[in-house]
Amino acid sequence: MLECRGITKKYGRKTAVDDVSFRMMPGRVYAMLGPNGGGKTTLMKMAVGLTKPSRGEFLYKEEPISGQSRKEIAYMSTEPYFYSWMTVESVGKYYEDFFEDFSMERYQALLQRMQLTPDLKTKTLSSGMMAKLKIAVTMAREAKVYLLDEPLNGIDLLAREAIIKTISEAIRNDVILVVSSHLVDELEKITDEALYIKEGHLAAMWGKDDLYRQQGKTLVDLYREIYGNGGEQPWQN
Amino acid sequence: MAKLMKYEFRKTMFSKFILLMVTAMAEIILLFGIFMEWENGLAAGSIGLFFCAMFGIMYMGVESLITFHRDLSTKQSYMLFLTPKSSFQILGAKVVENALSIFLTGLFFALLAAIDLSVSLIRIGGLDELLELIKSIAREFSLNPDIPWQDLLLSFLALLASWLMMIAMGYLAIVLAATVFSGKRLSGVISLIIYLLLNWGVSYLLSCLPDMNTMLQNSLMRIGAAFVVVAIFYLFTGWIMERKLSV
Repeated sequence: MLECRGITKKYGRKTAVDDVSFRMMPGRVYAMLGPNGGGKTTLMKMAVGLTKPSRGEFLYKEEPISGQSRKEIAYMSTEPYFYSWMTVESVGKYYEDFFEDFSMERYQALLQRMQLTPDLKTKTLSSGMMAKLKIAVTMAREAKVYLLDEPLNGIDLLAREAIIKTISEAIRNDVILVVSSHLVDELEKITDEALYIKEGHLAAMWGKDDLYRQQGKTLVDLYREIYGNGGEQPWQN
Repeated sequence: MAKLMKYEFRKTMFSKFILLMVTAMAEIILLFGIFMEWENGLAAGSIGLFFCAMFGIMYMGVESLITFHRDLSTKQSYMLFLTPKSSFQILGAKVVENALSIFLTGLFFALLAAIDLSVSLIRIGGLDELLELIKSIAREFSLNPDIPWQDLLLSFLALLASWLMMIAMGYLAIVLAATVFSGKRLSGVISLIIYLLLNWGVSYLLSCLPDMNTMLQNSLMRIGAAFVVVAIFYLFTGWIMERKLSV
């Protein structure tokens, strides 16, 4: 179980995440939804220990997040982060060196699916190719938690299908899969639960089926309701 | 930690390659000097090798700080901090790789000097003549030609220890800039001031160490004290990284 307990993150006077709490259970796919700048990336980075919270804590299997947790948590950042001297092949070797759950065989198969060749230099990749590489190297791990930050950003329609297929293949009973995106309609079909993040707050958290059963709404309907008018309050006389 | 060290080495491989190339050029000039009995070549080669050794070792320390700063201030930090390693291991790999690089570079230049000396002995014909030649070159550049070898070795160890101490202080200053003073105006300047204050404070503490009976004991005690300081700075820096560092 991945638990976020009263997390707040401040950058100077700006509060990026404000007193957010939730629990994520294995066997479920979570969509972390909301417009850019809402705090999704900060939350994910705190879940993997890249960013330290100002208050509160993230727990994995009841223990605070540490280097040890990263043995089982795979994070895909939205920004490119590979060393400039790396090739697609050496990125795989780097992951193989550090992560016991990394499969080079699976990585090579995913590279083929994403139409990437091992000799490509990372610094020459377009944003779309870079997004594919990040997905391939992250999903080649057999992790217990996947945190994917905007995996569909900068990706064309056909490549999106390949990425969603790759993400879907990781769904297992013992896996927590979290995908952040503002493309809610793309994620609806694979999502079990959705977290709506608005201006650093957890505005709502709903199971897809519960939401439909209890309120007759889809995840997209609720998204429109929460973030309608660009997330601003409607004008009232 | 060996895997982290492997990638730390990879980050600085290019500058090490450049150093090797420049050293090779100086060595070729020196060998020309020896075999062609070309005194200017001998002098230029010797001086070139001396500066390669000195600046090469110094630059390795500086580059280690530049790399660490880049590792914390750019997205490439994820490459390190996404691995299942603690901040202590990440920092430790950097310190050990840098210490090893500096030590091995020193050893490389010492071995090179020994080989050059042997080649000169065979070619020029006698140790006395060779030493006289080295001394005459040293005198021309106002250097003391009568340094005892034991002192030279101790000086090298002392240089290594004090240089590592400076690097460890640099690491701490960089981490303070990225954590405690992150996002604040003049964080870089504040860190530089902290670095200078730490430098002054540590130098003052080391100067307070008691004098021992012999110069050898004195040197060894100061070298040991410098390594203790390195260990303290390492632990403190790792502790801050573990609790405060956001990349």
